Amino acid sequence: QEKTFELKISHWVPASHPLQKSLEDWAAAVEKASGGTIKSRVFPAQQLGKAFDHYDMARDGIADVTYVNPGYQPGRFPIMGAGELPFLMSDAKGGSMGLDAWYRKYAEKEMKDVKFCLAFVHTPSSLHTRTKKVVVPDDIKGMKIRPADATIANFVTQLGGTNVQSSAPEVRDIIERGVADGVFFPAGSLVLFGVDKVTKFHIDAPMYVTTFVFVINKDKYNEMSERQKKAVDDNCNTEAAGRVGEFWGKFEDAGIDKVKAQSGQDVYALTPEQVALWKKASEPLIKTWGDGVRKTGVDPDAALTELRASLAKYNALTP
Amino acid sequence: MSTDAVAITGFVALFLLMLLRVPVGMAMGLVGVCGFGYLTGFTPALKLVGQTSMRTVTDYTFGVIPMFLLMGTFVSHSGMSRDLFRAANGFVGHLRGGLGIATVAACGGFAAICGSSVATAATFSAVAYPEMRRFGYPQSFATGVIAAGGTLGAMLPPSTVLAVYGIITEQDIGKLFMAGIIPGLLAMTMYMITIALIGYLRPGFLPAGKQTPWRDSFAALKDIWAPVLLFIFVIGGLYGLPYLPRFTPTEAGGVGATGAFLIGVLTGRLDREKILASLLQATRTAAAVFTVLIGALIFGYFLTVTQTPQKVTEFLTGLGLGSYGVLAVIMVMYLVLGCLMDAMAMIILTVPIIFPVVSQLGFDPIWFGVIIVMTVELGLIHPPVGMNVFVIKSVVKDVSFTTIFKGVLPFVATDIIRLIILIAFPLLATWLPQQMMAR
Amino acid sequence: MTRHSMDRFIDTIEWIAAAFVGLVALDIFVSVLLRNLFNYAIPDSFDIGRMLLGILIFWGIAATSYRGAHITVDLVWGNVSPRYQRWIDVFATLVLLFVVTVQTWTLFDKVRGTYRDNVTTFDMHMPTWPFFAVAWIGDVSAVLLIAIRTYRLVFHPEDMHDPKLKATE
Ligand code: NA
Ligand code: NA
Repeated sequence: QEKTFELKISHWVPASHPLQKSLEDWAAAVEKASGGTIKSRVFPAQQLGKAFDHYDMARDGIADVTYVNPGYQPGRFPIMGAGELPFLMSDAKGGSMGLDAWYRKYAEKEMKDVKFCLAFVHTPSSLHTRTKKVVVPDDIKGMKIRPADATIANFVTQLGGTNVQSSAPEVRDIIERGVADGVFFPAGSLVLFGVDKVTKFHIDAPMYVTTFVFVINKDKYNEMSERQKKAVDDNCNTEAAGRVGEFWGKFEDAGIDKVKAQSGQDVYALTPEQVALWKKASEPLIKTWGDGVRKTGVDPDAALTELRASLAKYNALTP
Repeated sequence: MSTDAVAITGFVALFLLMLLRVPVGMAMGLVGVCGFGYLTGFTPALKLVGQTSMRTVTDYTFGVIPMFLLMGTFVSHSGMSRDLFRAANGFVGHLRGGLGIATVAACGGFAAICGSSVATAATFSAVAYPEMRRFGYPQSFATGVIAAGGTLGAMLPPSTVLAVYGIITEQDIGKLFMAGIIPGLLAMTMYMITIALIGYLRPGFLPAGKQTPWRDSFAALKDIWAPVLLFIFVIGGLYGLPYLPRFTPTEAGGVGATGAFLIGVLTGRLDREKILASLLQATRTAAAVFTVLIGALIFGYFLTVTQTPQKVTEFLTGLGLGSYGVLAVIMVMYLVLGCLMDAMAMIILTVPIIFPVVSQLGFDPIWFGVIIVMTVELGLIHPPVGMNVFVIKSVVKDVSFTTIFKGVLPFVATDIIRLIILIAFPLLATWLPQQMMAR
Repeated sequence: MTRHSMDRFIDTIEWIAAAFVGLVALDIFVSVLLRNLFNYAIPDSFDIGRMLLGILIFWGIAATSYRGAHITVDLVWGNVSPRYQRWIDVFATLVLLFVVTVQTWTLFDKVRGTYRDNVTTFDMHMPTWPFFAVAWIGDVSAVLLIAIRTYRLVFHPEDMHDPKLKATE
């Protein structure tokens, strides 16, 4: 006799965001695989808790499955920070699969108080600015930037800029008011939140990605029968990570075309020399990241080499 | 118990606790935790308390509340209300009912730098009431004008209640503030017309004040530079006027508070004692508001688990009343609730449940913010209970509730007409924020 | 604790909260000034600002709870005799004491979590837990003050002086 479950799935983006459908699809797949014994309900838009708390919510059982941005809490998930290193990934689907396959063994250490489900990234994204065209790293000096995550925040600081924090819905407002001069943002979201109305210059290069995970409450998972656990496990793997990453990636990629189609927008690629300058400028980040990781007892050099190999395997390593 | 039964039990328990004078926020938190715990487990429910408390008090956007409160207390303590009243009186005081018109005008001016309806009413109970009585205005009229004029505090920007609405519904606070300007000015105008009408229809009821020489009238204008400067700087910066620095709402509050402090100190009107009193009052009120915010969030999570907002939406939209019929139902509910609690508590408790309905019906969220604040403010003055009336009673000792409510009635009628106008012509609220978007 | 030292303790807590309100305003004002005059943003001013806000609110809740300045529904209370008013006040204060005690206990867990999880600020990577701990101490004082309030309400109602004008909006 199996118990039936009704899982509370919680995320913090609007219900119109592609992630809503990804989570609904995920829930439907689990329900089907469990023979209808695991049902779910998706709670969007911070209805069960604030964005920053979503990891703790799964850990504490406030929700059963949550969507987490580990970069929201600098210092807490140092290993995962590797995924945020600039100019690393070139593709949403492959990047998600490469990251997921690599992170599985570290999740046992770094996210041990939850059942790790999968890791993914949004599409490779870049910097959008209001008045100043940014081409080389030195251009960041003196600028106020809304970073995407803790690693990009470090990058901005290293380049002589300062960070301005805000939630995604406020980005438009702070740029319009000159509180920030630019934002690291994926292009689809740029349009979704109307930030394209207040920015003019858009770098078209795979500068960074933001990492995300789905995590599950451990007690809930442990209560499940073997068949139910398998139903969950079969949807918590690298293929599933690829599906989530690809679906969202397509949405974001469509954004850059929308921006290009608008008059008065300057969407520009970087030359190989400029990319080389950015990569060189971002090297200290690898060291900063490594210092944080070393404290956890993990060898950062080996870990990063593994990540690169994993990304290469899924054709998502930036050349 | 079914989730519906749990939700209903929760509401009953909440109202019982509130009627027994348990602070609104604490009652919501307690019921929320018990309900959430019953449905999900008590360990997660307790974790929810710590998490929600800490997250709410350290949310930067919420900083807008204490900052505008502080600006309001500095402004109240530096006597700008008296200057405003004197300046307005110089121009209209000699008319029949002129002191009442001057009170409304001064309330409007004060409201432009103070975010609270209650504070505006309290301030003018001390400033304008004695003047009106000295010239033989009836008690009921004098207190009625102040109660109504006080509501301008929440209508005209800055407005703490509108800011809280913006926080809860994730709407742009700057745009909400802009949306309040035209309805606020409309309210001022309509109150003045009401007073003029009363004076005209009941000769002998309202006396005229003394005539001020024109030279003196204009001379008094120079004393109101401080509130004018503050308003232009803060609201202009929020709106994005050219040549002014641009602020986010929280920054506008912080800069406004510092500005009010500096003006008060430099003009010698804020002494040590008044500065400390301002800081204390802002702290107490901010803590009181945050307590309700935390409690409401926890209660909200409980309601989310019971699916109450969805069910209320389905129920109300399924009544077949049409969108304006549902809107009418909602507004009647607010008027009833207005007998129980103050504006802030009402907004925080109900908006999470009502807002999904309103969105579903396709109403503009910024416009609805203005409508809801107007309705809630009406609750502050309509009988049998109203916060502004309580406040006036606490300042003006020798007046009965019945007398105040009698004086308030014409303004309640005016408010209802204004609500209908705003519902018929939403552009009155949405036009200014749209201009802000366009640039 | 003697009556005098109790009052001193209450005043001190209230002043600490009030000082933090001023600090938050100053932090914002200076940030805006530096941004507009020198195009400079203070590192971590966002994180520090929001954590100061947290401190101010929890210390403020302590004072507000003691003064009986919370937002309440006075419909019943305003229409009964002083005897029943006192019973209602005692009941409400006991509930308040219970709720804030539970809150303080769960918040300790949160502060410990922040420490254990090594959460830092965005720019300068300062640990955030000390700020949270200071805020938490505010909540501890709230429990103490509400306990004092309960004691006085029951045994020394003449020592209670709730403000005439309650905090609203
Ligand atoms: Na106002
Ligand atoms: Na009322």
